[in-house]
Amino acid sequence: MTESSQPLKLIIDGQPVPFVKGDSVLVAMLRNQHHPTGGGCLCLGGDCPHCLATIDGVAYVRTCQVPARPGCVVACTHHAHAVPALPQTHHVEPTTNARHQHADVVVIGQGKSGLAAAELARTAGQTVVTLDAAQGQDVIGIYPGAQVVARTTQGMLIVHVRQEIIVATGAAELHPVALGNSLAGLMTARAAQQLQAAGLSLGRIVVINDANRLVRFEGESNVTAVVVRDDQGLEQHVGCDTAVIDLGTTPRNMLHRMAAGLPGVRVSVVGDAATNSDVPNCPAHGLVCHCSQVGVADLQSVWDRGFHELELVKRASLAGTGTCQGGVCLPYVRSFLANKGGTLQPAFTARPLARPITMGEVAAGGHHHVTLRTPLDGVHRAAHAHMERAGGWWRPWNYGDWQAEYWAVREAVSIMDVSTLGKMLISGPDALTLLDRLYPTKVSTIKTGMSRYVLLLDEKGYVLDDGLISKISDTRYTLTFTSGGATTAELWVRDWAESWGLNVRILNQTMSLGAINVTGPLAKELLARAGLEKPPEFLSHVEAHVAGIPCRIFRLSFTGELSYELHHAAVNAPVLWRTLLDLGKSLNIRPHGLEALLKLRLEKGHIIVGQDTDFDSTPRRIHHEWAVKLDKPDFVGKHAVLRTNKVSLDKILCGLSMEGPPPIEGANLTVDGNYAGYVTSATWSPILGKTVMLAWLKLSNDLAPDRVMIDGRPAQRTETPFYDKEGARAKA
Amino acid sequence: MNEFIEQRVSLTWQQPKKSYDVVIIGGGGHGLAAAYYLATRHGITNVAVLERSYIGGGNSGRNTTIIRSNYGIPEAVRFYQRSVDLYATLEAETDRWVMHKEKGMIGLAHSEANMRVEKARAAVNTAFGAKTDWIGPDEVKKMCPELDMTGGGHYPVVGAAYHHSGATARHDRVVWAFAEGAMKRGAHVHQRIEVTGLQIAGNRVTGVQTTQGDIAAGAVLCAVGGHVTSVAAMAGLRLPIRTHQLQAFVTNHYERTFAPILSSGPLLFYVSQTARGEMLMGAEIDRQPSYSYRSDYKFLQGCAFRAVTLLPFLRNLQVLRQWTGVCDMSPDYSPIMGQTGVEGFYITTGWGTWGFKAIPASGEQLAAAISTGKTPDLIAPFSLDRFALDRTMADRGSAGTH
Repeated sequence: MTESSQPLKLIIDGQPVPFVKGDSVLVAMLRNQHHPTGGGCLCLGGDCPHCLATIDGVAYVRTCQVPARPGCVVACTHHAHAVPALPQTHHVEPTTNARHQHADVVVIGQGKSGLAAAELARTAGQTVVTLDAAQGQDVIGIYPGAQVVARTTQGMLIVHVRQEIIVATGAAELHPVALGNSLAGLMTARAAQQLQAAGLSLGRIVVINDANRLVRFEGESNVTAVVVRDDQGLEQHVGCDTAVIDLGTTPRNMLHRMAAGLPGVRVSVVGDAATNSDVPNCPAHGLVCHCSQVGVADLQSVWDRGFHELELVKRASLAGTGTCQGGVCLPYVRSFLANKGGTLQPAFTARPLARPITMGEVAAGGHHHVTLRTPLDGVHRAAHAHMERAGGWWRPWNYGDWQAEYWAVREAVSIMDVSTLGKMLISGPDALTLLDRLYPTKVSTIKTGMSRYVLLLDEKGYVLDDGLISKISDTRYTLTFTSGGATTAELWVRDWAESWGLNVRILNQTMSLGAINVTGPLAKELLARAGLEKPPEFLSHVEAHVAGIPCRIFRLSFTGELSYELHHAAVNAPVLWRTLLDLGKSLNIRPHGLEALLKLRLEKGHIIVGQDTDFDSTPRRIHHEWAVKLDKPDFVGKHAVLRTNKVSLDKILCGLSMEGPPPIEGANLTVDGNYAGYVTSATWSPILGKTVMLAWLKLSNDLAPDRVMIDGRPAQRTETPFYDKEGARAKA
Repeated sequence: MNEFIEQRVSLTWQQPKKSYDVVIIGGGGHGLAAAYYLATRHGITNVAVLERSYIGGGNSGRNTTIIRSNYGIPEAVRFYQRSVDLYATLEAETDRWVMHKEKGMIGLAHSEANMRVEKARAAVNTAFGAKTDWIGPDEVKKMCPELDMTGGGHYPVVGAAYHHSGATARHDRVVWAFAEGAMKRGAHVHQRIEVTGLQIAGNRVTGVQTTQGDIAAGAVLCAVGGHVTSVAAMAGLRLPIRTHQLQAFVTNHYERTFAPILSSGPLLFYVSQTARGEMLMGAEIDRQPSYSYRSDYKFLQGCAFRAVTLLPFLRNLQVLRQWTGVCDMSPDYSPIMGQTGVEGFYITTGWGTWGFKAIPASGEQLAAAISTGKTPDLIAPFSLDRFALDRTMADRGSAGTH
């Protein structure tokens, strides 16, 4: 026997069941006397919830829309509208893909009117994408952009539409609302045709084409009779095996309602989807919404208790909130409310998704927020650095021994990868004008070859970022920003340059330049070994070669020791890094990570914007008034600073010190048992032999208390810097 | 018959009168709660709530139903803890089922920096009555066995802040419980009436102009979401508020076996399972200010991607529906409540992404402010004039995702 002559089989509730090529899962089930949910009027059009089952681990699948495949596993988890369990398996599927396509026109639905609309558009020379559920292309939503998103047999498809979206999704058949309408053996006229064409026997058939005559369906689990009213108004029992429902249609216009009003694109609806059919007659009995098991009596009950708006009735009765999103019940709920209130209310808001799809499918094409890597990332990892995410970057936290790293900085020499700094070049005739308006410092007094520490304020006078301005020439300046704040700062600078219409060029060099900080008392010696004969003086900068690599060398200090920051083409970073380490071997050089740096800078009382500052940190509150020149004609935030300077201070960022180990960053301060602020940064200082901290401290009667309690231990307010107050080491 | 069909609340509608003691603009949770507490706590029932659409149709019906008090500053922790407490007794007080359930909330940390933030949060929470503990990875796994502790290999779980009183309630039910409670005591709630202007004599508000004529009022409370700056402008006020979109989505219904509220700051994602069994998920506000209620696909794609990274079982769940609300953001990420400088004109706004959880406390406190003419201590720090007086209330705990 060859394999092809084996009967095709799928698995239903654990039993292999044969099917015929071309069957949907539903047809295969019906062929074998299985009903996925046990009852309800089947439509075979994907509109109703009566054929739901779990297929290959995914619940809520409309089996009429899925072609039967050998070996596919079906579980009747929705029988009698049971609620399926959450999947337990942590099965990781291969991620489906998401493709993007562009078109002038998208036509949804390829029935007669959809085909015609597509043909017309093509004839007019437009590029057309057609999407048809019958060909496995389920449109799940229409979004601003305009984008039409569909699940296809080849993954997700996102079509970007330039001109027009044409909805040609046809009409769905009305379901019956009467007692007994959740029995098996009920199906729409189209469904009956399809099943007969597939060779299924439907037994004795009764066709119902007048809702006014329908009284109820009778039977245990399968319909055995339909009760109808005859011309005289008398009830007649008609025995049957199948009740065929032929009550007319309702437009399938959900996608049209969803798209209507989208800016930048035309939205039209054609064919049966465009018909403005009247709602059916108001039902008297039976289930209206099968997804949420809502009957006519339930609608009556919420109506009687004051829920009259369609949107309120939906939320109170839950009709329309299930998996078919009102596909079956909406016409009847509207009809019910029109009957009660006298006016036909518009259909409720059509929201995506038009067809449920899995989160795994939706996630296709998604990605994590990118954590940036410096040009030295590979070097750090090769050195077995413990890497951490910080400020949107991967950074070395330590290289195994933060204490050794710390002492290398304080007593010898060390290097750190500071490529994460935001770096920007501003050039052009208006460069000075831009910076002078933007920054609260007098940029005009920065001399060529010099740098200055600056705050950046927003228009509310709050600290947005800090960094360095360095003047290269009258028309060229470089700016630096914090690693975490650089993206926002760039938007900020560009936005103002644009608003003021200034003649400047703004170049983001964050990624193109590497930066290595050389720091420690022996920093100058190391650079001399690397061929730098004339290093810059404190707060100045020069262009020179270091170890043969062209650099711009800035002299500033965050660690408190003599420091040189080498900015260079990113491509040269690994060579420069390795050369410095080689040349520094006899100086006991070792690189330091973020963990050591956080201690080093805290000993100097240097703030980190974002850690020690908050959304509402004014220069005054963080003791940086000196960085704000109020005698300047104007700068962003000046008016806010003038205004807030008039009122008394309520809180300040200050230094604290205490004996013993550091508290957690975030620990509360108390004074006389009352809350008085919190710690923003805390560390044990190896060189000072005590804990040093920065903290937000509340003032009382304009006075800052000198002593506070933290976790039951006393701490003393202490002037910063904690270490090397005169800055002699940095300026050495 | 579905057990979740509303079976008890009865709403009674009245014809609008020409004059009320108090007119409340906005028939969402905040406006209706204020009417409820005016009636129940202060005996003030000559009150009208004016809603331009249907009650609870704005952000009250678009949020992700989370109730918590683990904010970043003492004033906020105290305020939200009051709300958590009022929510806990709301069902007993109103004799209505709002599907309130205390679940506990797990705020995941994935890095050193995260851990620092979450530990700080736990410290300030616990000090001010919102019990929050730092828990290690083993305990996290025990509370939420569904978690992939490696975070898809990208976001390892290194611990979490566990907020004991994190809870959820059905948003619509909360709105209706307050509406019914106010109506029963004589307050009027009018749907489909839009306020188009304010009547002001001197520096005092005397009534509102509406699409159905003028209505006189002794006091007016602006409790609208989204277009609050437009309503405040009718009183000549400029609010420091920007409005941004916030999106969310739910899956189909499943058996209720996912116990906690789970949140990850770095992954910009949080999830809980509703009383009806839907998995309800959201992320952060969109950066671009907007009043639009349209959802976008990029949000859904990104949020689903991050969700399945942490909770792989979600892959096989079917997404049912997505939607969008709008958030009024203040510069310090704290709400604005109380008097405005225009006599008789009160405001409750700046509810950002934390409006639902504040409904009872905001309603209770505004009702007290209106009935007594004095600002209660609990909300005094949140007054509008704090910006001019440089007494801002920066709250990093609020700047989270939900």
